[in-house]
Amino acid sequence: MIRSWSPVVARERVAEETFWLEFDAPEIAEQAAPGQFVMVGFGASSWGTPFLPRPNSVAAAPDGRVGLLIRVYGAGSRRISELALGERVLLLGPLGTRFELGDARNVLCIAGGVGLAPFLLLPRWLDRQGREANLRLLYGERVGAVVFNPEKIQEIAGIEADIWTEDGSRGSRGTVLDGTGLDGADLVLSCGPTAMLKAVRSLARTAGVPCQLAVEEHMACGMGTCIGCAIPTIDPETGEDVYSLVCTEGPVFAAERLRW
Amino acid sequence: MVDLSQELFGTTFQNPVLLASGTCGYGEEYSDLIAVDELGGIVTKAVTPERRLGNPPTRISETPAGMINAIGLANVGLDGFKREKLPWIREHLSRAKVLVNVAGRSVEDFVGVVEGLEDEDGFLGYEINVSCPNVEGGTMFGTDELSLAQLVAALRRATRRPLVVKLTPNVAEIGNFARICEENGADGLSTINTFPGMLIDVETRRPVIGNVTGGISGPAIKPMGVFATWKATSRVEIPIIGIGGICNARDALEYILAGASLVQIGTAMFADPFTAPDTIRGLREICERQGVTRAADLVGALEVR
Repeated sequence: MIRSWSPVVARERVAEETFWLEFDAPEIAEQAAPGQFVMVGFGASSWGTPFLPRPNSVAAAPDGRVGLLIRVYGAGSRRISELALGERVLLLGPLGTRFELGDARNVLCIAGGVGLAPFLLLPRWLDRQGREANLRLLYGERVGAVVFNPEKIQEIAGIEADIWTEDGSRGSRGTVLDGTGLDGADLVLSCGPTAMLKAVRSLARTAGVPCQLAVEEHMACGMGTCIGCAIPTIDPETGEDVYSLVCTEGPVFAAERLRW
Repeated sequence: MVDLSQELFGTTFQNPVLLASGTCGYGEEYSDLIAVDELGGIVTKAVTPERRLGNPPTRISETPAGMINAIGLANVGLDGFKREKLPWIREHLSRAKVLVNVAGRSVEDFVGVVEGLEDEDGFLGYEINVSCPNVEGGTMFGTDELSLAQLVAALRRATRRPLVVKLTPNVAEIGNFARICEENGADGLSTINTFPGMLIDVETRRPVIGNVTGGISGPAIKPMGVFATWKATSRVEIPIIGIGGICNARDALEYILAGASLVQIGTAMFADPFTAPDTIRGLREICERQGVTRAADLVGALEVR
């Protein structure tokens, strides 16, 4: 786990209320794996908003930089989205669990909204590991205005995204699940809104395909000390209903462990 | 050379900066990032007789200059603490002093945890949590004078180790509660725990926190924590540990000048895990600049007029 005050080295508005930011943070970039996240904060002495750091999935790690896909939801993400070039933030990471590909050959990645982030990192990370797999990326948004530019996706991730929007203004009309044929997939990975993750889980369960989901929860520390990011889960050993920490036991969980 | 050490509870704290209960786990969690043994000490996550799963989500959210939490004393329980957590503490913390935070719903709960730990080594004493706003009965002992007196007296009979009581600010006169603790044998006090609070999502018209209400911590409560510390010190002779919104050495010094012998850093550790070591360094720098050779001389050095 690395703590570093890192400057913003690239910032771009990529869609409505959606920004691409890169930070100079070589050690974190070196270690980060898809699904893992960094806490982005401003330090304890600047106790304006936000006081607490915010978790963000690592979306790229090119040349010693950490790329994040930021969508403005509240005061914290707004402040992060408004960072100026050269401004420093306190990064802590990489944190949490990553997607585990095991022996999977055909991997279906299903992203909703900024749940796209870990799948932007995945292809190049696999290359770096010398690991080969066929990746198919489905990416859904509610409306076209917030869709992350497909050329930019290609540039960052080296992969083509199959885009779905509910208003049909970009890509295909419908939800990302409309595009989900599990044909030949031997692993499903997903990140996005909870409703979508639930649907993905039931789809994968029906098809008998293993499924891993990256989830979100409010967090204060990101490293297991505040116990704030607990979500209901099933203990894999005892079958008991328990809580698990998204920061250290997640954010990537085997779908069957989540108690929704 | 500035001497930051403090003599109290029959031992020497190498500096006055501790990590607050519920914000540092059992110490191990921060050991990747900071030298935990260089701190004054840590106060563990609360230990209850049985394992507790804690409250349903959402458990935390940011509030102006701080946060609201309702974790619900999620912890591994007495046996889990002894089996899974205490060994690390014993092995890695020799200079930092460890207080085990103890919580429960009844006198028997509290006494049971203390008796269950009494023969173990690796920690100095106990911080008794009579002030958790997030579980049923959590503040019962802290807001009722008779119950508090009985609890502290029972715990005093159960242990010869340092016994520190963590008080809630949610009472009309904290000095009365401080006095009751002292009269019944407490060795020290921690002031303060969180303030009860709420946060409402105006779009969904629901409370943000799963438990509906929570405790407010962070810089927002620092002036009230300093006030409570100052009020309490005027009523008792036993040492006080100041807590509430400390983010840096100047904040820590406010508590020390108000009468705290030690301080605890909590919520600010989430904003930056280096807050505690930075505070220790900052205390040394301020003392040097002010020509203070012993930080202990600053305890209660507030000049009101």
